[in-house]
Amino acid sequence: MNDQSGAPRRVLLIEDEPNIATAIAFILRRDGWHVATHSDGATALDAVDRHRPDVVVLDVMLPGKSGFDVLGGIRAGQRPGLPVLMLTAKGQRKDRERAEALGATRFMTKPFANQDVLQAVRDLAAHVET
Amino acid sequence: MSVGTGTRIRERRLALGLRQAQLAREAGISPSYLNLIEHGRRPIGGALLHRIAERLEVDQANLSEAEDSDVVQALRAAGAAQGLSAELLEDADGFARRNPDWTRAIVAQADALAAQARSIEALSDRLSHDPALSEAMHELLSTVSVVRSTAAILAQTPEIDRNWLGRFHANLDADSRRLASGAEAVVSYFDRAAARGDGRLLPSEIVAQFLDAANHTFPALGREGPAAIPALVAEIADPDARRLASEILTADAADAARLPDALVGEADRPEALAEAAGGDLGLVLRRMGLGDPSRGLVICDAAGALVRRKAPSGFPLPVVGAGCPLWPLYTALSQPGRPLRVRIETPDGAQWLAYAIADPVTLPGFDTPPILRATMMLTRAASQGPAEPVGPGCRICPREGCAARREPSLVVQGAMAGERTGQGAPPGGNYG
Repeated sequence: MNDQSGAPRRVLLIEDEPNIATAIAFILRRDGWHVATHSDGATALDAVDRHRPDVVVLDVMLPGKSGFDVLGGIRAGQRPGLPVLMLTAKGQRKDRERAEALGATRFMTKPFANQDVLQAVRDLAAHVET
Repeated sequence: MSVGTGTRIRERRLALGLRQAQLAREAGISPSYLNLIEHGRRPIGGALLHRIAERLEVDQANLSEAEDSDVVQALRAAGAAQGLSAELLEDADGFARRNPDWTRAIVAQADALAAQARSIEALSDRLSHDPALSEAMHELLSTVSVVRSTAAILAQTPEIDRNWLGRFHANLDADSRRLASGAEAVVSYFDRAAARGDGRLLPSEIVAQFLDAANHTFPALGREGPAAIPALVAEIADPDARRLASEILTADAADAARLPDALVGEADRPEALAEAAGGDLGLVLRRMGLGDPSRGLVICDAAGALVRRKAPSGFPLPVVGAGCPLWPLYTALSQPGRPLRVRIETPDGAQWLAYAIADPVTLPGFDTPPILRATMMLTRAASQGPAEPVGPGCRICPREGCAARREPSLVVQGAMAGERTGQGAPPGGNYG
């Protein structure tokens, strides 16, 4: 999965559960993505600035700062249009609505299928290209 | 027009093969007078209705127009909820007369649906408000997610290298143990709730179940007063719930002593009891609301929290949490001492008369703010008219575009969809 210059597209995966991060990173890398992982909510915005990802995959439950707060920070920052796929085990309607109100580009509930995550990241990146 | 008492008498008489003259003679009235009753031209009640019911070998309540009227109203509400035309709704009494068994079945089904709506709300609130259950479910779903994702990788990647293979196997082993622990935690959570003998978590829920089972009516209180309370609440296992139920029944017994059943049973309007109650309209509404199964009663404290709920058939009330902000109950809270009578309409098209008043529950004192409590009594409106739209509470209310809505409805999916589309659109566009 490369950009116009031929370099791999970048995904920043912000997820504090190491085994989930391992699995998602594995399937994305196999698809050709460059994947950076980050596990702390408090420093997640710094990671976004540092890695300059094309797509962010963001868990809701994070130590330090929630995924909702991180999402709000992204939307208020220098790249408000950055595509963000939110993942949560709290599939309650209020969480989905909160994510949508804060500007999540897509919302996915655990347990998810690998293929669904992969396709969502592809879709988000394709939207940015167009 | 409802199914008349006279019609029921005539149908029952004919079913028994009795001649009009014979029944009239045995009831102590003239055949012509019985004929007028059977055709709805003369009212009937009291001792005469009792004698006729006895001779017709049926319960007096089965002949009463009031019960029929409630059934027809409930049928009409059930039809309105399904979007039947005004013409069909108008013929509800005719339908009930022609199909009494089907009518009972439809009304019972509508009541069951309302009960399910209340259960949905209770379960949803439990998941939202109980951090222990919420945390346990989050852990369980997270672990299921890892196991599913890892297992899929192993199954769908035959060429995976040995290092990754070992790593994923180790993860799968660890996460499957974690999954087992998480499942045990959730099962244990529900076991603990079941061990309390109620399957619910909050004392207020247990008390609501206890009161609903008795339809909020305890004849022993009228006979024995507060002395009857310990035996009545003995069945409640949870000590906090038992204490709460005792407090409620003690208050009910005190109300009954101030305004006896004999007076309440004769009144059809709150105003009729105002003098007997010494002007305490809150007392009147409580007594009338509890004394008749077809009426409802809602009491809230100054914070708006519902502390007493007696749902009449066709008007579901939230099991936990607040009610509809549009209820006159809350209007009364903002105007203490002012009695309100408001015609309201629920989303199913049924209309109700809501009587409400807020008054202090503490003795007045200088420099001491009064502690207020609002009381609302609900009774079905006998006719249709301009009415204030209300709901049963946001979670089980299907009204769209309501300015007072504070949370989405669980009953109708997408009830808030229109609102979400506008405010939820992300800067980069929503293509999810």
